[in-house]
Amino acid sequence: MTAVAVDNLTKRFGDLAAVDGVSFEVPEGQVLAVLGPNGAGKTTTLEILEGFVSPTSGTVRVLDTDPCRGGRRWRSRIGLVLQSTSLDPELTVEATLALYGSLYPRAWRVEEVLEMIDLTEDAQTHVGVLSGGQRRRVDVAIGIIGRPEVLFLDEPTTGLDPEARRHMWAAVKRLTQAGTTVLLTTHYIDEADHLADRVIVLASGRIVTDTTPEQMRAQGGPSTIRCPLPAGVNATDLPDTLARHLDPDTRTLEISSDDLTGSLRDLLAWADRHHYQLTGLEVGPPSLEDAYLTAIGQPLAL
Amino acid sequence: MTDITQPAATPAMTDTNTTRLPGIPGLLGAQIAYQARLLLANGRTVVVGLGLPVILLITAVSHGHVSALTAASRGSFGLTLTAWNTYGIRLVAAREAGILKRWKATPLPRSAYFLARILATMLVAVAAGAVTIAVGVLLYHTPITATAALGVLIVFILGAAAWAATATALTSIIPTVEAAGAIMIAIYFPVIIISGVVGQISEPHWLHTLASYLPAQPVIHGATVALRYHAGSGPLLPAHDLIVLAAWALGGLIAAVALFRWEPHRPTQRRPSRAR
Repeated sequence: MTAVAVDNLTKRFGDLAAVDGVSFEVPEGQVLAVLGPNGAGKTTTLEILEGFVSPTSGTVRVLDTDPCRGGRRWRSRIGLVLQSTSLDPELTVEATLALYGSLYPRAWRVEEVLEMIDLTEDAQTHVGVLSGGQRRRVDVAIGIIGRPEVLFLDEPTTGLDPEARRHMWAAVKRLTQAGTTVLLTTHYIDEADHLADRVIVLASGRIVTDTTPEQMRAQGGPSTIRCPLPAGVNATDLPDTLARHLDPDTRTLEISSDDLTGSLRDLLAWADRHHYQLTGLEVGPPSLEDAYLTAIGQPLAL
Repeated sequence: MTDITQPAATPAMTDTNTTRLPGIPGLLGAQIAYQARLLLANGRTVVVGLGLPVILLITAVSHGHVSALTAASRGSFGLTLTAWNTYGIRLVAAREAGILKRWKATPLPRSAYFLARILATMLVAVAAGAVTIAVGVLLYHTPITATAALGVLIVFILGAAAWAATATALTSIIPTVEAAGAIMIAIYFPVIIISGVVGQISEPHWLHTLASYLPAQPVIHGATVALRYHAGSGPLLPAHDLIVLAAWALGGLIAAVALFRWEPHRPTQRRPSRAR
């Protein structure tokens, strides 16, 4: 079953095409991350899927319904979290969730949702005094309380500290285990890597990449060995196989090759022979960030 | 940890078309209660809607008595401050924060949310007016009978509807909370001052006539007439006041429905194309 179908979607604001001929389908249960720089059309696409904005041309179906015509029944089957946190500050977390829960035919119990977002201890806290990360989780709780079949998350962790982001990821993961289809927009490549089965990269309103995090990583190039030369080591001591990878300015070896194990063996054998300690040695997988920057056409920062 | 992987919890496995949506009357009632709680949980609502009018009532005590006119005007002050300023500014704040947009996307019928906000405001505004008059009755010998109280209640309900409906319409075209504060106050004070909320104005005559067609003076006048009512004193409520308030309520509601916006004003949506 297809949960979301987008066909040749275009949205213009004046002479700006915020979304320009985008097509994709999301099967039921998939977690899709939409990546892209600011102004790429991520939020506009999401708002069209949520029924807030009508397309200039093209068709959109969410749960087999045109979002602009989605009635109460349809709205009870989707959940959403807007880009900015939007909560009344005056009441407690529990009172807020209880009210939203009462709108849906098969809502989670408030205690269940509080557990999912890890806010059980703050049930009686007023929303207005929560930290930014906690408020954002309440926002997500409202989005999921009706057991949505499709959940839209617009930059759910932008502006959160690393710990709050981990909490948020855990909450989304628990939800996706229940089979919910999720569309999330994000600036963070690691977020897409963590949560998504599939990644779409938008730039200037068009899809430039539609892939999985693993494949995207593979497009980032081969794995890399980095190793600053230990102090006092003469560059001329290096064997020829390694010397050509040396950046003389930074005195760092940068080896990107398909035969990483061979290069690593040479490097370690050489260090062993001379009793050098390679304290700064790094062996890294190809960076998803590089693949992303390549996809949106930015020069790689090397 | 909640086991959310159990089959019953899987959305795909539930036949959503046979699950009944919650009934609308219950949802409307719950939403009115929620909105009223939001208003009362906000300290400013209580201080402005109750504290200020009661202080102005006490400063007008004469020989231990508060007249029907003074009680009615101070009560109308609390009512209008709540149904106009407090309500209007909060509505803009909620809209610009995306709260209305979020509610729009829920299965709550949109008309229920819209009505609940207005009805909850009317409830709190009428309560603010009633408490002020009750202070006069209980502490300062303001005359009242059961019939009079019913008359005041009717005038206050109509008055609150007139102010809240008109505020809903006006705030739809105000883009920011800051502007809302300034515009609501700039309209409010001239209206209530010529209407005699803080002291009667008798001259010039045309000003008095104008005020009788605005929604503040009929609330004060209607409530005063009701408080002074006794058997054989004429009608409980002046028809003119009721008609003016009903007209404002109805006109305000029609304009509010036509103009209402759920989503924040976002200048960034219309940004010019970037040179790239």
